[in-house]
Amino acid sequence: MADIEGSPGSSMHGVTGREQTFAFSVASPIVPTDTTAKFDLPVDSEHKAKVFKLFSFANPHMRTFHLSWISFFTCFVSTFAAAPLVPIIRDNLNLKKGDIGNAGIASVSGSIFSRLVMGAVCDLLGPRYGCAFLIMLSAPTVFCMSFVSSAGGYVAVRFMIGFSLATFVSCQYWMSTMFNGKIIGLVNGTAAGWGNMGGGATQLIMPLLYDIIRRIGATPFTAWRIAFFIPAWLHVIMGILVLTLGQDLPDGNLSTLQKKGHVAKDKFSKVLWYAITNYRTWVFVLLYGYSMGVELSTDNVIAEYFFDRFDLKLQTAGIIAATFGMANFVARPFGGYLSDKAAQRFGMRGRLWNVWILQTLGGVFCIWLGRANSLPISVLAMILFSIGAQAACGATFGIIPFISRRSLGIISGLTGAGGNFGSGLTQLLFFTSSRYSTSTGLSLMGIMIVACTLPVTLVHFPQWGSMFLPPSKDVVKSSEEHYYGSEWTEEEKQKGLHQGSLKFAENSRSERGRRVASAPTPPNSTPTHV
Amino acid sequence: MASRILVASILVFSLLETCYGGVQFSTLKRTLLINASPKPGELLKAGDMVTVTWGLNQSLPAGIDDEYKNLKVKLCYAPISQKDRAWRKTVNNLSKDKTCQFTIVTRPYKASKENQSFKWAIERDVPTATYFVRAYAYNSAGEEVAFGQTTDSKKTTYLFDIQAITGRHPSLDIASVCFSAFSVVSLFGFFFMEKRKAKISQKN
Repeated sequence: MADIEGSPGSSMHGVTGREQTFAFSVASPIVPTDTTAKFDLPVDSEHKAKVFKLFSFANPHMRTFHLSWISFFTCFVSTFAAAPLVPIIRDNLNLKKGDIGNAGIASVSGSIFSRLVMGAVCDLLGPRYGCAFLIMLSAPTVFCMSFVSSAGGYVAVRFMIGFSLATFVSCQYWMSTMFNGKIIGLVNGTAAGWGNMGGGATQLIMPLLYDIIRRIGATPFTAWRIAFFIPAWLHVIMGILVLTLGQDLPDGNLSTLQKKGHVAKDKFSKVLWYAITNYRTWVFVLLYGYSMGVELSTDNVIAEYFFDRFDLKLQTAGIIAATFGMANFVARPFGGYLSDKAAQRFGMRGRLWNVWILQTLGGVFCIWLGRANSLPISVLAMILFSIGAQAACGATFGIIPFISRRSLGIISGLTGAGGNFGSGLTQLLFFTSSRYSTSTGLSLMGIMIVACTLPVTLVHFPQWGSMFLPPSKDVVKSSEEHYYGSEWTEEEKQKGLHQGSLKFAENSRSERGRRVASAPTPPNSTPTHV
Repeated sequence: MASRILVASILVFSLLETCYGGVQFSTLKRTLLINASPKPGELLKAGDMVTVTWGLNQSLPAGIDDEYKNLKVKLCYAPISQKDRAWRKTVNNLSKDKTCQFTIVTRPYKASKENQSFKWAIERDVPTATYFVRAYAYNSAGEEVAFGQTTDSKKTTYLFDIQAITGRHPSLDIASVCFSAFSVVSLFGFFFMEKRKAKISQKN
């Protein structure tokens, strides 16, 4: 019995290795097109799009894509909007370095919790209302910046604005309802990357707005408050657009889903158990904390760093800081692409080496960034650091689908939370205390990145091997079916609940790399026709 | 592509940027006497007037001020306001020193026996902090050659406080509340309207 086709976590995309992972469309024989449906794009039997047409706004699929990623982008803009304006805010509110650091930590901590809740909200109300509720209820928190007059207020407001980063979950969930599982990898990856760009765009937008408002005649301590109105209005506008133009499903809104009735879902407690007892989950939670996590931390400190260290104007510091976040546009997909290329030749071992190389290089460039004394070298080091860290994010999600078939959703969620946790931790350790300067903090963070990437050497798949060890020689243990089957108890297997995992196992044989052809037939694999 | 153009332009601009090794503060002679109107520990607000009076220390030998061409009087942070705030750090190299960030007045230097004074209204972008006043004398090359300050060398005496404006404005607060209310009301309004429509269409 298959799980719900297209439900979050059910993506089989890229699994055979023979399909180009970043496929823009699914060919018809693989997934039959429903020719009775009248949509602008070819759709499957559930009316999910089989084609990803980037520059279209066709209702409902591509329109959903654009509404979704722009909402996520807006939330990134408002969460990191304070960062490039800190040189002004710190004088207005009489902040100390510790206050600035605490606010940065607060801005990424709120969403650890809100992302977990958002999954449930999307299940109950649908992704359209999930997104709209969050974005419109967090608009008042952004407007609240006009009231802030102390360090405590500043930290509290940044914490509340940070809740809005849970739009990541509604964004990914909503895509899963609109796009066929075989292209969902590219769609979700693009949406996540473009949303993350908001952290870079805000470093450009906010100083520009501040400058314009000052030229109109406001004093500095009032101008930055007025500047916050713009991201807040964006929240409201996007919320209204999502409510009026969006729909939960290709055929309409959530009420339709409720009429169709529910398919039996997996037990949450079991899914959680298999996620947390798999040690690989925790290795990648740690790793993502040092790719995505350091990216978020850097979004918070980099503009102020360039402003102070090199005596730049606010806008110049903002432009430089923006290039860091904007690199996401290509760097994150690039990491995923490299992962797939490595897998074609070397299988999973290639993917693991790829993540380790990218993330370690990112760490090395971060050390260099902290130590660079001249502006051009500093900018170069920052750009290389951004590519390394963001490509590592993309590469990490090239491996996550293979850790578990049954618990993919929770593992993805835990990994995401690990990213935010890593960000809070690095800001606490390196950018809050006055004991060392920001440049020393950056170098120390780089060292920690290199150290915390080492655990990926421990990740071992019996069927594919690890970075240093070949796959297991045991005939039973070295089969993909055994690995994915071990997530189900005998009772569940007898009920046939593990069929989806077996299908996945067979398709994942591509992770052996070039050895696929010589793979022995596992003795206990269930034949495809029962 | 865009980032490459950016890096190239930054490289070009930084090559254009000339870099002078800065004057060291410890080499400056304290030859100027300067007085500021706030009493020690007094709390001032943005908009209050501060009168600064300065002149050469007459007990010094004549001719010591021959190379002084310009004079700048600045508002400087006291050590307590620099604590945990590296962006206000005191550094000996004056081109990197961040102690004095606000200029009160710039005047060409006039060698005379009488003191000169200037009345300054505290601007609205001055942050809440503890301050003292310092004057720098510059030579014709634009380098600092002498200074004077209202406090002692350890910067512990004759300090005064300034309370900044909050930057808040009632009209901003009201606008903020109105837009927030609009956001919440329109969200719930939409939600309940759709629920009612669904109920009505289900009845039919």
